[in-house]
Amino acid sequence: MSEPAPSTTRVLRKLYLTLFLRGRTSRGLQRSTAPKSVVSKLAVTLLLYTLFGLLALRFQTQGVFMFSFYMHGMTMLFLGMFIATSSGEVLFNKEEGEILLHRPVTPRALLWSKISVLLQVSLWLALACNLISFIAGAIGENGSWMYPVAHLVSTAMAALLCAGGVVLMYQLCLRWFGRDKLENLMTTTQVLMTLGVVAVSQSMPYVMATLGTTGLGSREWWLYLCPPAWFAGFDEVLTGHGSMSSWILAAVAVALTVTIPGLAFWRLADGYQAGLQTLTESVPRRPRKEGKRRWLDGWIDSPPLSWVLRDPMTRAGFRLTAAYMFRDREMKLRLYPGLAPILVMPLVFLLQNMRDGGGLGVVFGGSYLALLPLMALNLLQFSQQWQASDVFRAAPMAGPAPLIEGARLAVLTLLVMPALTVLLLGVLFLIPGGESKLALLLPGLIALPVCSLIPGTVGKGIPLASPSDEAKSASRGLLVMGTMIAALALGGVALVARSGGWYAPFLGMEAAAALLLYLVLKRIVRSTTWPPAE
Amino acid sequence: MISLRQLTKWFGAQVAVNSLTFDIPAGQIVGLLGPNGAGKSTTLKMLTGMLAPSSGTATICGHDLLTEPMEVKRKVGFVPDSGAVFESLSGLEYLEMIAALYGIPAEAARERIRQFITFFDLSFETLTDKLLGAYSKGMRRKVVITAALLHNPEVVFFDEPLDGLDANAAVGFKALIQTLAKEGKTIVYSSHILDVVERVCDRVIIIDKGEVKVDGVPADLVAAHHASSLEHLFTDLTGGSDLAQKAEDFAKTFRS
Repeated sequence: MSEPAPSTTRVLRKLYLTLFLRGRTSRGLQRSTAPKSVVSKLAVTLLLYTLFGLLALRFQTQGVFMFSFYMHGMTMLFLGMFIATSSGEVLFNKEEGEILLHRPVTPRALLWSKISVLLQVSLWLALACNLISFIAGAIGENGSWMYPVAHLVSTAMAALLCAGGVVLMYQLCLRWFGRDKLENLMTTTQVLMTLGVVAVSQSMPYVMATLGTTGLGSREWWLYLCPPAWFAGFDEVLTGHGSMSSWILAAVAVALTVTIPGLAFWRLADGYQAGLQTLTESVPRRPRKEGKRRWLDGWIDSPPLSWVLRDPMTRAGFRLTAAYMFRDREMKLRLYPGLAPILVMPLVFLLQNMRDGGGLGVVFGGSYLALLPLMALNLLQFSQQWQASDVFRAAPMAGPAPLIEGARLAVLTLLVMPALTVLLLGVLFLIPGGESKLALLLPGLIALPVCSLIPGTVGKGIPLASPSDEAKSASRGLLVMGTMIAALALGGVALVARSGGWYAPFLGMEAAAALLLYLVLKRIVRSTTWPPAE
Repeated sequence: MISLRQLTKWFGAQVAVNSLTFDIPAGQIVGLLGPNGAGKSTTLKMLTGMLAPSSGTATICGHDLLTEPMEVKRKVGFVPDSGAVFESLSGLEYLEMIAALYGIPAEAARERIRQFITFFDLSFETLTDKLLGAYSKGMRRKVVITAALLHNPEVVFFDEPLDGLDANAAVGFKALIQTLAKEGKTIVYSSHILDVVERVCDRVIIIDKGEVKVDGVPADLVAAHHASSLEHLFTDLTGGSDLAQKAEDFAKTFRS
């Protein structure tokens, strides 16, 4: 007897889990090799999350509330980041409409299957992150055998709330702002959410340190606004340590975990198809007034950019890179969340070091800024339209050097300059006696041109020439960590030089080394040939 | 089988499809023609439930598009011009997934897939071992066509189905749709390749700027408009009559 067909929801769930594990696009992959590599990446990610969970041991001696507050805070930040970066592609994928919208699939089944996969993976990550805490909470100083059970339930609730919150935000954007603005709005929302999550995560140690000194006995009012505190209250109640405030926090946790996902997954599910349909529509843009030029064209054709961009190929590389940085949804969703740690960290450094004169913050802020072009160019090499880069190869160019230079200049002009302006304003207005600290930005600024050349020398500087799926490679995480360590090392040496009284000679030596390196790297970029075509 | 009444679609302030009204009986192959941006793909997307009409109604196999969308979707197959597939699935995984969405039991689905790959001259190994992202454009198109026909739909919409197919596959495909029509299936065939449409279709509907310009049997239309061919009729109706002069002007830019 023939096996009956599985239910639509089950088929879709299997589909989305497969797509999540393998990525949505592939090139030249054999089935036998594709999933394996992604699964191993996922295993590494889960291991990393488990290792992050080791930080819980630092709070093991604290009470249940403090311990849980930290664990839930960390878990929700990781999950928030994961869901914010994945959900846009998962929930509103343009190509998917062409494949599935004409099939007998209800919008509810489509949304449910996506959310269940998103939740499933979120739970894996949350459990990995909390694995150590389950044990530590049970056998620690203030441990209780009920803690693993309570924390397991509250972790699952937190994952549900995170997923529900993100989906609800998308649904409300769709409902309130209409279809015409949906795509841009989604991009902006997602980018802002990621920046917010990064900013909160970077401030977390500062908040924890403050909480550590003031204690939580008084239950400050603002704790009632912190989602991790709701679930920490839930843990406290279930382990039998709950005070009245814990009961209130636990009640908020339960109420919101029911309400928000309920609204997102049930009440607004019927509008989901409208959102997907919107993406398949080609809404005509309002025609540009005759004679009115795009701001980008105006910039490129005016000094000082027109002086720098005299070579037409470099100018084309600049224009292409800049257009994608500001117009392409997929690029924006990868670029700005990817750069968020580098963009936010200098300001966090400044804020954290305001009280002790701010020197440390200024040095590290400057060093971080130097790494911005390196990270940005690394991300700009990827695009869903990577196959269109064949047009570069067909053009009469000996190599990709002019395009690499154009992309580099676009990043320096359109990303680094504004970030530097914000950092300068931060130093001047946040740091007491900021003017006298400006010289501490120099180590980073001297290193900046060299850093901007590095991607081009290692074959990573050609804009939009690699498939976007390769951007998910685990090596990018290593690159982020590597750049952070390099920034800290540069800042550290500069601080030692300053306290040792040889800051000026240090800057001189750094400038000489940077100039030499710059010339060498520039030469390497100029002689770069096209990578072999697929 | 297909019935449109005042079907209209607005994108912002621009009308993409304007009050389309026509009927297509069972077993007919209808060519839907029009220049770029005429509203062909938008019409097909509305008829397959991918886009909601702004106004008007349509019924397919007796089911109302707006009130019974799931029934309509079960009866239709669609080959979109984009040829979009989930690239990280193998061909077999993709087709089995599509079959399952229509409730076709796994064994029956596998049997139908075998018939299609034999028809399209694909190897089973290619279908199982390679991910769709690694397929050539033509192979991918064959998979998309198979995915549209797997559930034995009563109405099939093709949007540029020959794009990427080699000559043999294209000839085979034309024979296939004629066979399907003989079995009572209704085919709506949107294409820019006018001579193919002229040879394959029982009837053509030419639309421009979202409106029907002409509707009838190709030979009758050509005769009625005193045109030498469907191509001439098409260019006359859609403003492409001075193309030779435009080509000459274009070439002049290189001479100067």
